[in-house]
Amino acid sequence: MAYEITLATTMAISVLFALSLNFISGFCGQISLGHAAFLGTGAYASATLTKASVPFLLTLPASAVIAGFFGFLIGLASLRVRHDFLAITTMGVGFLFVGVVRKQDFLGGELGMAGIPSPDMSREMFMVFCIFLAAVFAVFSLYIRRSWMGFVFDSIADNEDVTRILGIDASRFKLAAFVIGTAGAGIAGALYAHHFRYIGPDSFGFVQSVSVLAMVIVGGIGSVWGVAFAAAILSVLPLLVQFVDDYKLLLYSALLFAMMRFAPDGIAGIVRRSAARFRRATP
Amino acid sequence: MLYLELFIQGIVQGSIYGLIALGLTLVYGLLRILHVAHAALFTLGGYIGVIVTNFTGSFALAMFVAMIVVGVIGMAVYKFAYEPILHRPPYIALIASIALFIASEEIYRIVFGPFGLSYINPPLQGQIEIFSGFRLKHGEILVMVIAVVMLSALAWLSANTRTGVAWRATVTDPEMAAAFGIKIQNVRYLNFFIASALAAVAGVLVALLNNLVEPTMGSVPSYKALAIIVLGGLGSIRGTLVAALALGVIEAYGTIYLGKILDRDALAFAFLIIVLMVRPQGLLGEK
Amino acid sequence: MTPVLQIENVTVRFGGVTAVHDVSLTINVGELVGFIGPNGAGKTTLMRVITGIVKPQQGRVLLEGRDLARKSIDARVGAGLALAQQIVQPLHDMSMLDNVALSCGSRKTGRVITAMLHTNREPERDKARGLLEKVGLGNVVDAMPATLPLGYLKRLEVARAMALEPKLLLLDEPLAGLNQAEAAGLADLILGLNKAGQTILLIEHNLREVLRICPTLYVQDNGVPLAFGEAGEVMKNPDVRSAYLGGHA
Ligand SMILES: Nc1ncnc2c1ncn2[C@@H]1O[C@H](COP(=O)(O)OP(=O)(O)OP(=O)(O)O)[C@@H](O)[C@H]1O
Ligand SMILES: [Mg+2]
Repeated sequence: MAYEITLATTMAISVLFALSLNFISGFCGQISLGHAAFLGTGAYASATLTKASVPFLLTLPASAVIAGFFGFLIGLASLRVRHDFLAITTMGVGFLFVGVVRKQDFLGGELGMAGIPSPDMSREMFMVFCIFLAAVFAVFSLYIRRSWMGFVFDSIADNEDVTRILGIDASRFKLAAFVIGTAGAGIAGALYAHHFRYIGPDSFGFVQSVSVLAMVIVGGIGSVWGVAFAAAILSVLPLLVQFVDDYKLLLYSALLFAMMRFAPDGIAGIVRRSAARFRRATP
Repeated sequence: MLYLELFIQGIVQGSIYGLIALGLTLVYGLLRILHVAHAALFTLGGYIGVIVTNFTGSFALAMFVAMIVVGVIGMAVYKFAYEPILHRPPYIALIASIALFIASEEIYRIVFGPFGLSYINPPLQGQIEIFSGFRLKHGEILVMVIAVVMLSALAWLSANTRTGVAWRATVTDPEMAAAFGIKIQNVRYLNFFIASALAAVAGVLVALLNNLVEPTMGSVPSYKALAIIVLGGLGSIRGTLVAALALGVIEAYGTIYLGKILDRDALAFAFLIIVLMVRPQGLLGEK
Repeated sequence: MTPVLQIENVTVRFGGVTAVHDVSLTINVGELVGFIGPNGAGKTTLMRVITGIVKPQQGRVLLEGRDLARKSIDARVGAGLALAQQIVQPLHDMSMLDNVALSCGSRKTGRVITAMLHTNREPERDKARGLLEKVGLGNVVDAMPATLPLGYLKRLEVARAMALEPKLLLLDEPLAGLNQAEAAGLADLILGLNKAGQTILLIEHNLREVLRICPTLYVQDNGVPLAFGEAGEVMKNPDVRSAYLGGHA
């Protein structure tokens, strides 16, 4: 049972993390290749605080605020550069994060932080809590899609220049997307730190940033259900196929490549297309 | 003298970056794809270089074989990986490329083993004293010479041959080029061949300098080369070379003077972010 | 006569090309000004200077007496400009209706928080439906823009601009791509809007319709202002005649 609880907790944290990126890349169309840095920011912030005996629950809003603040700064960068330039800039931010953390003794440097206190709740309770937070973010995402904010995001993802010509201050909306998305990642990071109770610079590197973007794209960029589903599956897939341990990463990357090559609109796209075919077949 | 030493080390490193990043720029200029998997071809070049040298004893032959084989594989990558998804949003190709890169690294690990290969008799290990107390390996000199020769040859060819002119026309305006009867498809193949062959050369040279080629050899260059081409203004050959050399030199100094707060690989990105915030179009890019 | 728009000594150069050369122009409340000139005369460029897409090397633009220089594109639109572009740019991932509805929602999209707190799109969709009907697109409200021909997308541009209820409506060749009946219909609509009080600057190559509806003309050639004034007078101007007959068009 303990194993299943660990799996479910891992899944929930990944879902929250992937949905937070979906907010930025899926809703608002700003591709980020450095999202793991915000997971890391939240994780390090929260771990540092609980190690200084701050209650775990209080560290959640703190992690959100700190990650959201850095997200705001990256959002400012997104006002200067676009598209490919933005993807590379965010990638750079990811490398910069790891590079800086490695050299900070108070964050454990290369070795990372071990012995992070457990959250003040049972493992079952923690699992439920993680699932709850992921669900809250999913519902919030679904709401935003329907709101006028979601309407504007659609427009920005589609064509930012036109959005401005329609009199909408696209910059503010992009900043909002970055702040909300990175704050969500910060909370996921706090959960992550207290789930694994060890964090190191390599937990938040480029591979993690790519993995989470892969979750979003495999799920179907912008689709809340698709992304949540893909994140849940992909986060535990490596654990489930451990018998092919040596080929794990190969399998994973081959899958990702195949997905991009043959079904780039992701699981959500496949479902949508099959549903349409089904409807046509049964008039 | 430390200044000068660091500077020359930086130029050597920058030449390697240049060889790798140039291929990336060529691909970006033509297809607007951020070809991360380029670095997988770089690593492959290193493997072929070491293996052929060890078998035949000829380093020159190894270099030649690496260029041809990797060049052809590069064309295959275009044909089977990129061509079918060119009409998709650019991030699709980017993710596909990253996936291809990770998969390649895994294949190298599984095929060649995780610990890497070395030259049995490493060639070009002799040293020359440049000035008192400062020596350069023959290999390091070769790096600079090859970089200069290759890149000048490329510049000359693109300016003075029919193929070069066709290539430049295609980069500037594909539709116009097609209207003038240029076979865009051939230009793309050629482009991938040259880009990949350059990466192979860089791979062979890095394997020589380190006397080691390992599966993950491409990881750092791959992302750094992206930073370089962005710094260079995406698609600008001159900009890419300037950025590559600048980064090599900045890293050489930075590791000494900033090593306490930033590691070497993060330096490139700090530089990248600062430049982009001041000049969103890159160092030499045009608005 | 109160001026809505004042353009003062605007010059724009692209590399070696001077697209707009020292242009000054005033448009007063309630006017409908036709802006004509051969291809490459710098009409679109001047339009883009007004909306802030292009920054002029010299000169300034005032809207209701206030200098727009430091305002972003969206702020200018907020201040009362609206542009229907020559090169159509529909939002491809939403229906024709939503393209216009988004434009109708400026009260809800003005602030991020307001946008976040509102979900109801129906009032804007109703208004959008009305606008689409006015421009003759009542039968394609639910279509996706990619499936429609250019003439439809041109009118979508106009509907989106009208939705902003601007103080000055800028139209860049709205009639191009429309057949004669459609063009006459849209020209009538433009005239009607103007009769109802809307101030309009209309770039158009379709001289027949321009001469039919615009009381005032402004002519530019190679970036240089040629004539401004009552339409009949302007068309008699020898410079204008040679620009058109002897020139490129
Ligand atoms: N972004 C740009 N960069 C460089 N040159 C430009 C740019 N935009 C316009 N030009 C040049 O400026 C000149 C004026 O162009 P503009 O589009 O304003 O003309 P126009 O009067 O709108 O023509 P048309 O009737 O064909 O729409 C042309 O020579 C054009 O090539
Ligand atoms: Mg024009």
